[in-house]
Amino acid sequence: MKIASIIQRYGLATVSCGLALAVAWPIDAPSSCFLLAVMVSSLFGGLGPGLLSVGLSAIAFEHFFLWRTFSPTHEPATFLRFAVFLAATLLITGLMEIKRRVEQSRTRAHEALRQAQSDLARVNRVATMGELTASLAHEVNQPIAAAVTDANTCLRWLTRDQPDLEEARQAASRVVKDATRAAEIITRIRSLFKKSTQERALVDVNEVIYEMIVLLRSEATRYSVSVRTELAADLPHVMGDRLQLQQVLMNLMINGIDAMKDIEGSRELVIRSQRADDDQLMLAVSDTGVGLPRQQADQIFDAFFTTKVHGTGMGLRISRSIVESHGGRLWATDNLPRGASFHLTLPTTIEVHE
Amino acid sequence: MVAIVDDDELMRGALQGLLKAVGLPARAFASAEEFLNSGQQHETACLIADIRMPGISGLDLQARLNAARCRIPTIFITAHGDEKMRMQALRAGAVEFLAKPFDDEVLLDSVRAALES
Repeated sequence: MKIASIIQRYGLATVSCGLALAVAWPIDAPSSCFLLAVMVSSLFGGLGPGLLSVGLSAIAFEHFFLWRTFSPTHEPATFLRFAVFLAATLLITGLMEIKRRVEQSRTRAHEALRQAQSDLARVNRVATMGELTASLAHEVNQPIAAAVTDANTCLRWLTRDQPDLEEARQAASRVVKDATRAAEIITRIRSLFKKSTQERALVDVNEVIYEMIVLLRSEATRYSVSVRTELAADLPHVMGDRLQLQQVLMNLMINGIDAMKDIEGSRELVIRSQRADDDQLMLAVSDTGVGLPRQQADQIFDAFFTTKVHGTGMGLRISRSIVESHGGRLWATDNLPRGASFHLTLPTTIEVHE
Repeated sequence: MVAIVDDDELMRGALQGLLKAVGLPARAFASAEEFLNSGQQHETACLIADIRMPGISGLDLQARLNAARCRIPTIFITAHGDEKMRMQALRAGAVEFLAKPFDDEVLLDSVRAALES
């Protein structure tokens, strides 16, 4: 594979010089034709093929053209022309090589940045999940408790003087439901701890919302927050990273719950989804909490900006970069009469921005 | 009648199934509001309630019933009950405070005791 590529690249250099010679001969325009050949060789072949084409052009230039114009005397002008030609071709090869290296290092830097963003996002997810431990444990404990009771009930029906198989069967099938639910919740929690594969697929955003509500239900109940949804039916799917979109919703919902912890009066988290213009869909997470910080409303998306005692100041920053990498926007407004609303748009077309 | 108030559907089903297995009539409610609006609190001889629920919590429900002079022997079942919560519930007249998952025998003993009182 590698050898084939080397042959291909050096072959390109040789062929382009040959073509340059063939074209340059009848029209007597060697400089431009050979320069073009050197450019093509350096651009697509790299440094080695570039230098080969410089050599081949120099030989051809010297051998076929210099003698034709100035033959056979060795005037200084002949040497000068040759030197200028050689310098120009070498300069082009050098410039092309520099360009290639700059591009390479930029690609590497870009890759490193992506990796760093993905790692940071994961740290944010894991840290957030850590804060939710008590609520998540409750969410798992609930179906397990139901399973224990249902299994005991099943035994009671079986060990009666006259066993009731139909009742026992019903209790056993409830056990199956309970255990399945516990397993589902564990799977969902575990998926949030995974490393992002950065794979894009079609995502049903309503489903993501529903899943996050299931996981955060205990957390909401713990702080007497009621969760309401207004989800548009038949919402088009979004091309995106499911895990990252879950993370955005998790961050926004937890922020909303946190904002209402110390509020007197109604605590309501409302999650809306709807179609917007231009093949976009729009989500909003609204709370009736303390609201956006006055005078600092534009800073909430800055890294390390936080109003929470134990906040990292990364949640909204990461959420915004995730939404933007999906070609959408994330912004905040005041919620009336109280609290804050976070809105985000996501394109539903298969257009993905880096 | 025994009333079950729990927001978790699986838990409601499990409790109802258990009481049926020992021949006790029971009705389940998904929220404290539903129970209060049912008008059945006066026919309820024993209440099994979750503490942490959306809307009116189990402890609030107990307080409202007490305020309405409707004293129903109440058994609380909760996944995260601390000692403070337990003391508060017992002071307000709860007959039992169980952690999930609970021993069904203990629960049934409490229910029977409540029904006999």
